[in-house]
Amino acid sequence: MKKISILFLLALVVVASCTKDFLQTDPKGLVLETNYYRTRDEVFAGLVAVYNRLSVEAGGGDNTYSNKLGPLNAAADECWAGGANSTDMVFWQVWNNYTLSGAVGPQASFWKIDYEGIYRANLLLQKIQGDIPDLPSGERARFTAEAKFLRAYYYFELVRLFRNVPLITEPLSQEQIYEQVQAAPEAVYAQIEKDLNEAIPDLPNLVAPADNGRVTKGAAMALLGKTILFQNNEARMGEAASWFDKVNSSPQYSLVPNFADVFSPLNEFNSESVFEIQHSAAQIAGWWAWGNFMGNVYVHMTGPRSYNGPLYESGWSFNPIIPAFVNSIRTDPRYRHTVANIDSLKAAGQATYAPAYQNTGFFVKKFAPLKQFKAPDGEPALNYPNNFIEIRLADTYLMEAEALLRAGGDASKAQTRLNQVRARVGLAPVPVTLDRIYEERRLELATEGHRWFDLVRTGKAAATLAFKGFKAGTHEVLPIPLNELNNTKLVQNPGYN
Amino acid sequence: MKRFLILTVLFFVALGVGAQVTGKVTDAAGQALPGVSVYVKGTSAGAVTDLDGNYKLSSKEGTLVFNYTGFSSQEIPIDGRQTINVTLLEASTNLNDLVVVGYGVQKKSVVTGAISSIQSGDLKNAPITRLEDALKGRTSGVVVASGSGQPGAASSVIIRGITSINNSVPLYVVDGVPINENGIDFLNQADIESIEILKDAASAAIYGTKAASGVILVTTKKGKSGALKVNFNSYLASQTAANKLDLLNARDYALLRNESAEAGGQPVPYPNADQLGEGTDWQSAIFNDNALMQNHDLSFSGGNDKSTYYASFGYYSQDGIVATDISNYQRFTARVNSDHKVKSWLRFGQTLSYAHVRSQGNFDPNGSYGGPLSSAINLAPVIPLLVEDPTELSTNPLYANNLSRLIKDENGNYYALPAAGFQEMTNPLAYIQTQQGNYGWSDAATGNAYLEIEPVRHLRLRSVIGAKLSFWGNEGFSPVYFLSSTVNTTLTNYNRALNRGLDWIWTNTASYDLTRGKHNATILLGIEGQDRVGRGVGGGFTNLPVNDFQSASLNYQLPTENRIAYGYENQPYRLNALFSRLNYDYAGKYLLTAIVRRDGSSHFGSNNVYGVFPSVSVGWLPHLESFWRENKVLNTLKIRVGYGVTGNDNLAPFQYVSTIGGIGSYIFGQDQITIGYGPSAPANQDLRWEQTAQINIGFDGILFNDFTFSFDLFKKNTTGMLMQIKQPFYTGASSDPWGNVASLENKGLELDLGYRKQLNQVNLSVKTNVSYVRNEVLDMGPTDFLVNATFQSSAYEISRKMVGMPVNSFFGFLSDGVFQSQADIARHNNDAGFPLQPDAKPGDLRWVDVNGDGVINSNDRTYLGDPTPHWTFGLSLAANWKQFDISVFGQGVAGNKIFQGLRRLDIPNANYTSEALGRWHGEGTSTDFPRLVDGDPNGNFTRPSNFYLEDGSYFRIKSVQLGFTMPKTWLQRAEIENLRIYLSGTNLLTFTKYTGFDPEIGGGAGTYGIDRGVYPQARAMMVGANLTF
Repeated sequence: MKKISILFLLALVVVASCTKDFLQTDPKGLVLETNYYRTRDEVFAGLVAVYNRLSVEAGGGDNTYSNKLGPLNAAADECWAGGANSTDMVFWQVWNNYTLSGAVGPQASFWKIDYEGIYRANLLLQKIQGDIPDLPSGERARFTAEAKFLRAYYYFELVRLFRNVPLITEPLSQEQIYEQVQAAPEAVYAQIEKDLNEAIPDLPNLVAPADNGRVTKGAAMALLGKTILFQNNEARMGEAASWFDKVNSSPQYSLVPNFADVFSPLNEFNSESVFEIQHSAAQIAGWWAWGNFMGNVYVHMTGPRSYNGPLYESGWSFNPIIPAFVNSIRTDPRYRHTVANIDSLKAAGQATYAPAYQNTGFFVKKFAPLKQFKAPDGEPALNYPNNFIEIRLADTYLMEAEALLRAGGDASKAQTRLNQVRARVGLAPVPVTLDRIYEERRLELATEGHRWFDLVRTGKAAATLAFKGFKAGTHEVLPIPLNELNNTKLVQNPGYN
Repeated sequence: MKRFLILTVLFFVALGVGAQVTGKVTDAAGQALPGVSVYVKGTSAGAVTDLDGNYKLSSKEGTLVFNYTGFSSQEIPIDGRQTINVTLLEASTNLNDLVVVGYGVQKKSVVTGAISSIQSGDLKNAPITRLEDALKGRTSGVVVASGSGQPGAASSVIIRGITSINNSVPLYVVDGVPINENGIDFLNQADIESIEILKDAASAAIYGTKAASGVILVTTKKGKSGALKVNFNSYLASQTAANKLDLLNARDYALLRNESAEAGGQPVPYPNADQLGEGTDWQSAIFNDNALMQNHDLSFSGGNDKSTYYASFGYYSQDGIVATDISNYQRFTARVNSDHKVKSWLRFGQTLSYAHVRSQGNFDPNGSYGGPLSSAINLAPVIPLLVEDPTELSTNPLYANNLSRLIKDENGNYYALPAAGFQEMTNPLAYIQTQQGNYGWSDAATGNAYLEIEPVRHLRLRSVIGAKLSFWGNEGFSPVYFLSSTVNTTLTNYNRALNRGLDWIWTNTASYDLTRGKHNATILLGIEGQDRVGRGVGGGFTNLPVNDFQSASLNYQLPTENRIAYGYENQPYRLNALFSRLNYDYAGKYLLTAIVRRDGSSHFGSNNVYGVFPSVSVGWLPHLESFWRENKVLNTLKIRVGYGVTGNDNLAPFQYVSTIGGIGSYIFGQDQITIGYGPSAPANQDLRWEQTAQINIGFDGILFNDFTFSFDLFKKNTTGMLMQIKQPFYTGASSDPWGNVASLENKGLELDLGYRKQLNQVNLSVKTNVSYVRNEVLDMGPTDFLVNATFQSSAYEISRKMVGMPVNSFFGFLSDGVFQSQADIARHNNDAGFPLQPDAKPGDLRWVDVNGDGVINSNDRTYLGDPTPHWTFGLSLAANWKQFDISVFGQGVAGNKIFQGLRRLDIPNANYTSEALGRWHGEGTSTDFPRLVDGDPNGNFTRPSNFYLEDGSYFRIKSVQLGFTMPKTWLQRAEIENLRIYLSGTNLLTFTKYTGFDPEIGGGAGTYGIDRGVYPQARAMMVGANLTF
């Protein structure tokens, strides 16, 4: 009997001592972060996640539509916000009429998406330094370069939209999260340049067609030039010009002969495309895919409401083009590829549509929802395949011309670049001046999301956008999203308190 | 005092005055009761029973009064008799009762925690499908609300307020085996011996990290040594709806629709409204006024001094009162429990039960989105049940284009379709046809086996292995159907699922009893391991070549793409514990219980695998002190004070690590979607259990000899509640990590009163309980609130978990009336003199500018009420006289609000309840029900507001039972020991102001107290019999 009790007590001790092992359980069908990024494919999947933040159509800090073209166009002198009524996409509306506040505006969308991209890049850049036996060194360098390019791109978006942003280059530990402060814009620009300079050597000049969408050397060089240009330091304009020149004089790039072809989904990754953001109908998205749409929803948003007629599909009537802008481009050959004059179709009895909020009868043409590209499957609104060319050659030509003039450099080369852009659409040369270049940018790049940045960086925003309510000293940047100020050390941008 | 009495008696005896009365006083078990005081009412003549319970008294007339502490006093007229034997009944709380306290039992008199007990006798013959029903109204501190009247539906049980924003489900332990609340219906109520509810932390701490919301311990019956005893209990019941909604008939409906459309600038839809009659009563189409419920159970028990056994079989079936064809429940149960004493030092035993459940209930019993109930409420009464005009089948494209998919009744008539715009609403009878045959099932084997040895006296070593092995699944077929332009399908679908779960627990304890003089102590040490695994597979076949459930089979050879399967494994969950308890008392007068448990849980991060849960409680019985003056008011008293800490580890596994998932894809090349992977949320290695600290002060005692009372005050604080912590966006994580941040508090008091008395030949017993609890969220970390429940397409949530309010409080706009005139609207100004609602029209709700900022907007939403009752009460009365017995049981709640959301907001054509007849339709016609207007520009209905909230208080006569026990003389020939027949009614009467079906609306946090058309509980009239051989 005593033996039994001793055995029993022994059993107790044994059971007690193996408890730690007993509680060690492994997840089933779940991969832990600590076990991931150990193979080439896992690292590549991590890189894809960094790319993913380029094409977010819905989600972001306010969980609404988050294509950046819409609000940028609404903020500039090209378009109104439009939509169904004065509260439809309220974040566009308040940028359109400059009633932005910390709580209401497009800032949370931009801010969250860009920082997600940065975090994913930071994580990948950390993980890729680990032991990944099947990752060839060439690919390791290329992946690293791509991640650095993308981090630079996201920071470039942030610094020019918000100016004062925390500079985070490694995944934050829990303790560090609430210790972050906003960095000087110069420091952010320096980091962007550093990333791009490090990325350029390891990026390919060309990618195979199956890799279209992945970053090239040209994209990085163009972005670096742009980064320098945006810092408005006249002493460095030569440097900027030389980066643009590396792209512009590369034989792999050339202007697409027919201007309209630049924007056609049939003509993706054309010779003018330096950095292109991908969209596709292949997802056959329905509303279930909210937050992960792969199509270009902005395309549907610009369509006229309840449209019934040739060429176009119906949409939600966002970004009607301001008549003043229409007037300034009306005689330009690019007019009919830039403005969809639905009212004239209506007047001709060919189409009907329901005029919506801020309707002008003029709609965005470059990204119009063409019948031809309506997805046969899935929810059509969510499946337009139109890519967006973030940097195209006409832009880098004009930026080179601008940088050359501002550097006091080769004016004839600047003249050539301007001429090339004009000649493509059949316009005669005009003498190159900074103002002429800016005007050319306005017409060439209309509704492509460059105008507002150009106005701000050239100091013309206050005057040009006064009719919308732009206040100098405040509206050059967006407010920091209000919720980001809770419990953190961030401070609001001037004028938004 | 006693001594004095004895002297007095001796004195009288010595005098030998008058005639003598003698007799014996025994307890219910026939044991002699010594020391019982016996006296003649109104005189000084008295006696005390001797050691054998005998008394002798000199008196010829008058009434004898028998008094004994712990027992009900009794009064018996002498009526000239010379021998009067008396059986005294124990007062409703017997101080020597044993109470199950977890890993052991304790004498009730020395318990120091707040533990409520429900005994099998309390539940006798009550129609109880699930364990939760047995708790309702029976004891203080427990709020039970049925999720719905769907047969077999679970109820939500809240012990001492909502303990956590996450999960407030108590821990159920049946014979030492923890049981998931969903599977608790494997228990046959007839097998339950007792239910103990550990309410305070001082007693619940022995269950550590799972005990924060209270612990419910169920003990099943054991055999008693003696001859074989056979019990047979049976009842049959007819059920009907206790209450139906007062929906509008076709004429009234059309008039209101006309009024609403006209107000909204639309053409009048029913120009001939006055000629419409009653129309279709959709409710009566789906309600069954004679739904059958039956229960039969048979048990055998007995044994000898070595072995005892208990075995039982039970069958229970209930038809639903709504859409009976697809709403019913059947259960078969079997059980064998046995205990064996092999040697004086070796015992073993086991419990084993098997339950098979088969149920139908293929619609949401409290939902807004279709199904028979929500359709019956919302469908217009102008829609006919069946297609009346056969030409419609060819002329109306809705019918003509879908003829082959339309559903017909048994006579071949086509069921009518709702017009467009009724969203998910369908002709409920047609819907029922499409769900025929579909069912869910479960098979569960639950049991344990123990071995107990006593190597030396007073030391008991016990090892128990318990397990629950369950299989469950469902089988369903969807024919090709066209119920409306929204609800239809062109493909048949046949699906089946099979799941399997195994929970096991191994507990080893050692306990030692120590007695030295007046010091008594029991020390318990234990170790326990638990493991839970589960897995399942399921699949669906589409496009089968048959069109009804009976013909469907998985044997059909279908193309691979029409055969879809899925499966899963549950993430592992393990728990490991060390625990210890010390019970100590000095002379049964000074009491102490101390508990400490250390739990290790696989749910938590490496920094916090182990949690320690201590508790201590003390008690004092002043009536045992020498200074206590015996008195007629307060006979006994126990004072208890306890404090303890318990935990809650209810969280999805592996939240403490960062896991990799698809976090967004990107296109490469031509349309090549490439999936990007990355971490979902950052790791939080500090993740730990929620912690609940509770202090309890209690008083138990006996008053006026016949009343027992128990009064408790408690306060519990839950801290470190688990929620996702919203992080700054600049961290860039895809989702927020879980962390321990929020806290809340519950404060309350509880009173249980019992009364037991024998008056002449009437035995009377009364039990009542009242409890009050107040809940408040104290902190939500960096978040101000969490959305709790939303309502249809309403622009705003209707309830929140928010700091400063009770958890899950209703939240919305506040209206203080209806604008009677344009002048009224003009008077509703802000401080600057601008109208607050310039666009309102007379008849619209007047919104209160709650924050006083001069505009009415979303910031004016405010706390509107609490869905959880603050007060609960229960009352049970039992009496018997000769062969008759009667019992009445009632329960109720107060202090809660119900969101009455029966009507669909986005279906302008939906029917109304008769309350809408009292709408505003002209100055002075209504001050609380706004005008009806299509489009609802003022948001009278689309804005959640106090307009939707109603007082949820009720008191319900839950059951009344009248029984007759056959006199023994009638039964002796048949060797029947006992035969009782009874009539009973349940849910006979409900006192409430609530206008919906039923004020009792349980369910989870997002459902509790929100009436989306809840399946009402049935009223049953039953007849039954109890037979014992």
